[in-house]
Amino acid sequence: MRSAFEVRDLSKSFGHVHAVRGVSLRVEAGEVVAVIGENGAGKSSLMSVICGRLTPTSGEIRIDGAPVHFASPSDAQCAGIAIAPQEINLAAELTVLENVMLGRQVARRGVIDWRATEAEARRHIAALDPTIDPKARAGAITVAQQQLVQIARATATGARLLIFDEPTAALTERETERLFAFIRRFRQEGGLVLYISHRLDEILALADRITVLRDGRHVGDLDPRTTNKDAMIRAMAGRDVEELNLRAVIPSAATDEVVLEVRGLSRSAEFADVSFDLHRGEILGIGGLIGAGRTETVRCLFGDTSRQAGTVKLFGREVAFAGPADAIAAGLVYLPEERRRDGLFPDLSVAENIVLPSLAKFTSRFGIRWLDAFGAAERYVNSIPVKVHSSHQLISELSGGNQQKCILARWMMSKCRILMLDEPTRGIDVNAKWEIQKLLRQLARDGISVIYISSELHEIIDVCDRVMLMHEGRVRAIVPTEGATQESLLGLAMN
Amino acid sequence: MSETKVQKFRSRIGRFEAIGIIAALAVMCTVLALASENFASSYNLAVVLRQASFVGIIALGQTLVLLIGGIDLSVGAAAGLSAIIGGMLLVHLGVDPWLVIPLTCLFGFALGTINGVLVAYARLNPFIVTLAAWEMFAGTTLVITGGSPIRPLGTEFQQFGLGTPFGIPVPVLVFAVIALVLAFVLNRTTFGRNIYAIGGNRQAAVLVGIPVKRVEMLVFGLSGSLAALAGILYASRMDSAQPSVGEGWLMPSITAAIIGGVSLRGGQGTVTGTVTGALLMAVLANGIVLLDISSYWQRVIVGAVVLLAILIDLIRRRR
Repeated sequence: MRSAFEVRDLSKSFGHVHAVRGVSLRVEAGEVVAVIGENGAGKSSLMSVICGRLTPTSGEIRIDGAPVHFASPSDAQCAGIAIAPQEINLAAELTVLENVMLGRQVARRGVIDWRATEAEARRHIAALDPTIDPKARAGAITVAQQQLVQIARATATGARLLIFDEPTAALTERETERLFAFIRRFRQEGGLVLYISHRLDEILALADRITVLRDGRHVGDLDPRTTNKDAMIRAMAGRDVEELNLRAVIPSAATDEVVLEVRGLSRSAEFADVSFDLHRGEILGIGGLIGAGRTETVRCLFGDTSRQAGTVKLFGREVAFAGPADAIAAGLVYLPEERRRDGLFPDLSVAENIVLPSLAKFTSRFGIRWLDAFGAAERYVNSIPVKVHSSHQLISELSGGNQQKCILARWMMSKCRILMLDEPTRGIDVNAKWEIQKLLRQLARDGISVIYISSELHEIIDVCDRVMLMHEGRVRAIVPTEGATQESLLGLAMN
Repeated sequence: MSETKVQKFRSRIGRFEAIGIIAALAVMCTVLALASENFASSYNLAVVLRQASFVGIIALGQTLVLLIGGIDLSVGAAAGLSAIIGGMLLVHLGVDPWLVIPLTCLFGFALGTINGVLVAYARLNPFIVTLAAWEMFAGTTLVITGGSPIRPLGTEFQQFGLGTPFGIPVPVLVFAVIALVLAFVLNRTTFGRNIYAIGGNRQAAVLVGIPVKRVEMLVFGLSGSLAALAGILYASRMDSAQPSVGEGWLMPSITAAIIGGVSLRGGQGTVTGTVTGALLMAVLANGIVLLDISSYWQRVIVGAVVLLAILIDLIRRRR
């Protein structure tokens, strides 16, 4: 049988990292196929190959039974494939309508016919959200609207296969419903849809078929009519739901002692009036949509940016950090979301990446005592454990999960008291993710306090003791995770 | 300390990344020694080493700047201006010759720190900052001197450029000592490791609490003071502080570092590499003279060597 769209035995490797391993999947005309999987399961890499951004290491893509090769995204677009990516990448200074029609303006001999271009753009924008002003500057509209503009850009290509990568991550309920109505219309007209989301309810409501990826492999298909959320989670994690709830595995060790007291913290255009307490031995989750001001808040606490109002008390003493160095000296550290870009020294070894902030402790009159320093680093590498050939190999050779463990080792060695983690499990495979979360629970039991930012509410529920929900720069609620569900938390964040 | 530990230790710190270039230097010396009986004479070797020293000292400062991901285009002009200031201290103000050297270095440090402040705190592009500094330093030299040299500097002062304690020219000795000190600093002090960290990933360095701006400023200061040291030693050797001191030192300082494996992107490079690079260029120039090749060929060959060094490095990394 010939499928309208088919991927056969597709693999994609980046050096030693196998992002996609022999995945096959198909989509028929008028079908919405959901692809689910944890972070790092290979969904994004798979979609990047399908839409021509990456070339596959092996395997093939077939359209109507005929093999196709995409050297670039424009090849894929010519073949009728378009993606609405998760990250916002609009030209902020151009108008919404120019963004939608970028590269496909209606033109005669290179001269743009603005009237026709605008009409075309308006049609695509109105189909998604008639309230967006096509003449507005793309940088000036809300994040949710930007996300919709990106989707309009994909539909404007006239594609037959539309790929949605986390389209609702920044959308409110109303906008989500509009989007779903659009997708259902598109399906009725015979369109093909690949839909990636972490929101399992959405998938159950929308998809005709569910494909599950785990660690780059296609581990099974589920029928949305018969499956349920527990079964989906089990398939994605490869673990039982009970085992995933680390709060139950390692009970809370939170005490009454407040180690970090934040009152009325504000910074214009980023967040306003943020107040919370962090207790000794507690893991406090910060949940919310992209652009809710979570990263900005912890970066400000870390002294990377300056606050405009509010007070911060660390271990009972009011503090004002001039920079990250001050915060680190006080025992407060931050693990950035962009691990590779902001957290690692790619030219240095695993061991040196770990010891770098602690080098002063190993320095005598004759300089750094490298053997002692590396010995100490190696003890952490072995006890966590970090999977390495040698602690002297370059850190850039490790997988994301092991790199993250090294960064945790770095701060464990420096004897930090409070860890602030920004999306600590993004891009990390399922197993390593679970190990890292378990390590955090253990650290909390040993008296370290943790702030855990995540866009994955289910992760927050599994790992954190309490959760602070933020929306558009403000704290909406601080509640215990015990008994909370993703839906209840989402409701608190948005309303 | 077990055997494997020592091996691991060697494998990372003081890792012999410069082994290829050292081998190239050895081959070149062997060939020259066979081709020309003059090459291995102690007189000729002293000439080669002294030639390598002036550019070498500057190249070591340049290496520090390159390691943090910057570049210092003002080294030659800083050397020239510092030499003039040193000469004035000596001749016009009658400062003790032994005091002139450290004072000149201090002056050079101040010049470099100007660059450092603009790069580290004002976050200006180092290429542009030091390009402007180059012009301003060179211009100031001409304004001060009106284009004429300050001379003579006196026989006592000449010892710094011409003296040969233990049969080794003073500049060579200074070059060696600075190389040893910098090798220690880069490998065995937190300041040194912070330099590599900043060059490797500046943002990460900020986030792990390294005083990035202070380190950057200090590195430019050191580059300036090393330039000043080379400049004043050269003036001493010539017995004349000429406005032209340091002209033509900039490119060789970068070239020596690059041949020695220092990355222009920062974070990679060793003292051993740069020292070898400086020696290799001096041997090359010497060989061209000894083998009676037109000296016009020298720059062509140096350029080819740079390209070759980068290509070899590229192939090594790809593997």
